[in-house]
Amino acid sequence: MAVVKREGNEKRSLEHKNQKCLGCGICTDICPTKALRLGPILPIARGILKSDFISIDQEKCCLCGLCSSSCPFDALEFCINDENTKNMNLYPHWNHYATIEEKECIYCGKCAISCPRDAIHLQRNLPARSDLVFGETEVDLNKCVYCGMCEEMCPADAITIEKNEISSDKPYVGTSTKIDESKCIYCGICKRICPEDAIKIVCTTCMNRDNAKPHPVDGDIILDEEQCINCGWCQEICPVNAANVKKPFKGNISFEENFKCKGDSCHACEDVCPCNAISIVDNHSFINPKFCVLCGACARACPQKGIVIERDDMELTNVRSKSWDKRLNSLKQSK
Amino acid sequence: MPVIIDQEKCNGISECPGEGLCIKLCEKGALEEKDNQIVFITEKCDDCDICIQNCPSQAILKE
Repeated sequence: MAVVKREGNEKRSLEHKNQKCLGCGICTDICPTKALRLGPILPIARGILKSDFISIDQEKCCLCGLCSSSCPFDALEFCINDENTKNMNLYPHWNHYATIEEKECIYCGKCAISCPRDAIHLQRNLPARSDLVFGETEVDLNKCVYCGMCEEMCPADAITIEKNEISSDKPYVGTSTKIDESKCIYCGICKRICPEDAIKIVCTTCMNRDNAKPHPVDGDIILDEEQCINCGWCQEICPVNAANVKKPFKGNISFEENFKCKGDSCHACEDVCPCNAISIVDNHSFINPKFCVLCGACARACPQKGIVIERDDMELTNVRSKSWDKRLNSLKQSK
Repeated sequence: MPVIIDQEKCNGISECPGEGLCIKLCEKGALEEKDNQIVFITEKCDDCDICIQNCPSQAILKE
């Protein structure tokens, strides 16, 4: 974590938060005094090198705050008199976002599994099985020979046989056979496999149709905005359109015409991509633009310089200064 | 194209800021350590250039 602080007429401070940084280098492109330096992102991403993505040259940093306004991932906090410029009307605002509508969510959990930043937390309450299926079970222990076939066959793991440690004074294998009705689905497999006809299973689910009302699953789905980078995975993977994502940039990602990708030998792009938007398919980089935030880390990491990032538009508004507007708009030039 | 290790810039693994980063990064095993020096094995190299791009001493280049 790099920090620059200075006090004059105003107290200004800039803080780099490495845990939020993607190593994309947007800030290093924007910095007018070349005070920010991007570290070796590939070894860092691979965990070979322990280092922050960004270092700040205290001597060169003029504490203008441009880098903080340019970072779409909130990795640079710039404060004037202890107030974050993100909360000030005079400074630019990013308008990208990600939301998950709890009303629409069916708690399937696909978003939580696919989120590359582990930013989605799901907790759901499922009904008891006994709310959905009905029936009766009975084991005739006078007939049961404790062969254990029912226990082995039961698909719901509902049957337990209490075994006896066999000895000359206790010359028997089992002491009881129990069916746990909170697990039993009354499928009848135990009844059919039992060689001694010791088990009775009656499924009354169909007869209890009126009681077998649908039991809606409830729960909580939480999107951690601190971790989220608006990559779009949740939106793409959600089966009921409960997730909405607005990305920081609009544009395209593509390959250079004569790009000779080294695929499995290299996979630098795949390793540095914070969005899990890149994989190596048939020994060639495969980029799914649906999951890309156009941060440009892959283009920087590619030793063959084969990836082209084109940003046509960005969700940055309230840029009040002309010089800042010019500087920040330079992000739209293709890389 | 064969990779060349500039022996003037590369001061061996013990002095390397990346502690032999090129060896760690190469997926093909085309760079090896021998007596603290980097040895390049042409036959194994797939020309991905990751070593060239990431060498902290900029000691790796191509002919």
